[in-house]
Amino acid sequence: MVQKKYSFELKSNLSELDNLCMHLEKFGQKTGLSKKLIFEVNLVLDELFTNIISYGFDDGCEHTIKVTMTPDNEGLCLCIEDDGRPFNPVEFETTDLSCSIDECKIGGLGIHIIRKLMDDIFYERCKDKNIVKLKKYHTKSKC
Amino acid sequence: MEIIEEKQGDINIFKLNGRLDSNTSQGFEQKLFQAISDGSKTMVVDFKDLDYISSAGLRVILKATKAIKREDGRIMLCSMQDYVKEVFEIAGFDSFLPIVANMDDAIKSF
Repeated sequence: MVQKKYSFELKSNLSELDNLCMHLEKFGQKTGLSKKLIFEVNLVLDELFTNIISYGFDDGCEHTIKVTMTPDNEGLCLCIEDDGRPFNPVEFETTDLSCSIDECKIGGLGIHIIRKLMDDIFYERCKDKNIVKLKKYHTKSKC
Repeated sequence: MEIIEEKQGDINIFKLNGRLDSNTSQGFEQKLFQAISDGSKTMVVDFKDLDYISSAGLRVILKATKAIKREDGRIMLCSMQDYVKEVFEIAGFDSFLPIVANMDDAIKSF
């Protein structure tokens, strides 16, 4: 099966979330992936992008975040790359979310959601860039 | 995202249209907290026309729910689309936030 990469860039501004949505819609039309999967991918990329914008930069300059999506035989691979501060979502400790409303703290909620929706998450820091790769398999069972 | 505000008696109703994410959640937070500081004790958020929510949206709803509870008030959440409800479930918020099927159920609960 030929690997078709779908890539795009977003500026470091939360208003770009609309662009992210638009790209996901186009991607969904091109690939025929289910609406549910497109929703979940949108959410995962949104959470990562929002974290990057919120915590990654302090120089007041515009940065570029690169996103690549590659469907393959096993499922869907996502890659998001930014040149912000080092941040590894794989090792980030999320708080216990199974709690009552009074106890509930919500640090790391976005990362919790990403971990629930994606099957694999890899991080590497390379040439002053954060590179996060995620994978979602077609079937629930993983090899 | 568009927010339509209505009132049924003392109940403040917020109808959301579009997407609640980190870009749009601040505006919604302001409206909710304005209503709380104006003394609202009964609020309903109608999710019927909300197509998408991220953790930023969940966070705003949680904050507002805690704040109104401190004032002995309550927020009901109704008419969620399937994918939106799933985000609450993934976060575990469905175990302690009052989510009901429709507006009638929300109004009746007060």
